Amino acid sequence: MANETKIKSLDAFFNPQSIAVIGVSRDPNKVGSVILSNTLQNQMGIKVYPVNPHLDEIMGLKCYPSVVDIPDKVDLAVISLPAIFVLDTIKECIRKETKAAIIVSAGFGETESGKELEIELKKTIKQSEMRVLGPNTLGILISGKLNTFFLPYDKSTTPPAGHIAFATQSGAMGHLLLERMAFYGVGTSAFIPVGNKIDVDENDLIEYFARDEKTKCIACYLESFAHGKNFFELCKKVSPKKPIVMLKTGSSKWGARAAASHTGALAGSNLVVEGALKQVGIARAQTEEELWDFANFLAYGKVLQGNRIAIITPAGGMGVTATDCIERTPNLTMAELSVSTKERIKTRIPPFASAGNPIDLTATSTPEMIDGVLEDLQKDNSVDGILMFSIPQPPLPVTDEQIEIVVKWARQGKPLVVGTIENRLTTECIRKYAREAVPVFPSIERAIKALQVSFERGEYLKSCQEGEKNKNET
Amino acid sequence: MKLDLKQIAETRAALAENEVKQLLQQYSLATPTFKLVERKEDLKGLNLPVALKVCSDKILHKTDVGGVKLNIGNQEELNTIFQQFRKKFPQEKFLAEEMAKPGVEIITGLLRDSTFGLSIMVGIGGILTELYQDATFRVIPIKRYDAEQMLTELKGRKLLEGFRGIKTDREAVINMLLSLSQLGEDLEDYIDQMDLNPVFIYERGLCVVDAKLILRRPPE
Repeated sequence: MANETKIKSLDAFFNPQSIAVIGVSRDPNKVGSVILSNTLQNQMGIKVYPVNPHLDEIMGLKCYPSVVDIPDKVDLAVISLPAIFVLDTIKECIRKETKAAIIVSAGFGETESGKELEIELKKTIKQSEMRVLGPNTLGILISGKLNTFFLPYDKSTTPPAGHIAFATQSGAMGHLLLERMAFYGVGTSAFIPVGNKIDVDENDLIEYFARDEKTKCIACYLESFAHGKNFFELCKKVSPKKPIVMLKTGSSKWGARAAASHTGALAGSNLVVEGALKQVGIARAQTEEELWDFANFLAYGKVLQGNRIAIITPAGGMGVTATDCIERTPNLTMAELSVSTKERIKTRIPPFASAGNPIDLTATSTPEMIDGVLEDLQKDNSVDGILMFSIPQPPLPVTDEQIEIVVKWARQGKPLVVGTIENRLTTECIRKYAREAVPVFPSIERAIKALQVSFERGEYLKSCQEGEKNKNET
Repeated sequence: MKLDLKQIAETRAALAENEVKQLLQQYSLATPTFKLVERKEDLKGLNLPVALKVCSDKILHKTDVGGVKLNIGNQEELNTIFQQFRKKFPQEKFLAEEMAKPGVEIITGLLRDSTFGLSIMVGIGGILTELYQDATFRVIPIKRYDAEQMLTELKGRKLLEGFRGIKTDREAVINMLLSLSQLGEDLEDYIDQMDLNPVFIYERGLCVVDAKLILRRPPE
């Protein structure tokens, strides 16, 4: 298949008009039935056809003996049969000219006994035009449109529609993060666990998401690269336009070659991956927390054009802890506020408060103070980015008024991240910022790491522009 | 004479040191002045002190087999050591090489990665390499920006930025990485891994002191 057609063909996953759910059961708790009820929740007017040769009807819908018996065309088939029945079903789907299939079933290449079966499956789909996701996948979520998970929708929550597209090689890890996004209300555009990647892999998805207007950041959890060279060349093209964040785990097999050269010994398991990802501008996450934090920032935050950070805090302790953290963060530095900025700030804050950086508003801070100081910082050319701490001021929680002001400046002003310390009192404040699409982080260090990623993204984009300029000149 | 790596790779697993250095010189990378020595008569005409090393595509770890003698200060000593080496390695040739003046040591090289293909590495050299594992990689070809980034990623980067009166030619290191990337790009099919270790960096310029190249049977 030509590349253009190959990527276009993925539309059947993202925008199907009709879906066959193959492997439904009378028991509403069985995987197939859960998938059916989730699929029926779709708000795109997708026609849904259950398939089971032993049933006439399920959930009020006519049940078909086989996919080929469905009187309509089928764009997408979701298959949750035991592994041994999957190959024949896939052949039927191909005969039906189904555009795409999701194989939820496990028991393929991830097990010893299923390896042969997976090879056979791969051979079969290679000879067709049909695109296949999985096997061994959780199902997909296209936010606000379609959910084919085998987790009951009333027992699992999904995030609102938003800008993070998520491709993951671990369904479980991915889903746990997705629940977390849902918990805070951070929006996602799509969530696709790739499973065993017999056809659709991370490269297909990155290329698809690169063209998807709703997606502003592509997040990936990967254990192995399907085609490393293609991945590298693809990301080189995508990264300047859309940020990619990746948690890459698992090690390669360099140990065996270590003796031959020092270069080989130094490569270890990780350094070549590390270098390659940097080279193509990918923000590499080392933990699941970083994956979600970096994606959150890159989808919803602004890119730093310089490394000088101003901190606004109602608590001295948070200010100094953050200052220390910035000092030990490579690339970032505390902004030296201009004399006129300090003078202006002094007129706004209590006489015992600090107008230097970190700007300590003290416990008497008011929304007006915050508004004024944020305005002053916009005008100061020695400030590239702002870290705003939003914390309760006893007896009050973080007020909506304060949140509104910070959201306003986050939208119209310089790059800004909100930091707090997560607890019972601040969870709701985190949710409110997330709902307003303002990047917010539940610890001091995580807020500063996000700023670092923002700065690195800025430097990468500058290097791309330099590269373009040099190309044009020569 | 230009080396035909394609042809060599058909029959051999590695290059001998003189061949690697000849290749490096073709890419404007400085090495010490050296001579390939087969007979005693070849030992003349170098500025002492010199190093004498066994030079063979079959011996990659010369020191391990007692095939390296450094800092040979006079002709008589050189002749004696040559005789000893001759006895020890009757089938091999030798490399007599002028001793390079010491500098800040770095290590650099190329490595075929199973995922990304040929990659380039640079690290802080000497015993610190093994102690700190202080090295960084990129996939070739690299751009100038990549080379600069690589150097800033090293923990020992200060050694290349001026530290306690140590002055080094950072620009020369960047150019070396770009040349090595070019070499890797040109000969990608034939290289499995390559080590330049150590490379001495001076206030101006640099010198590749030791080098090895492990070949790869070219794809059909």
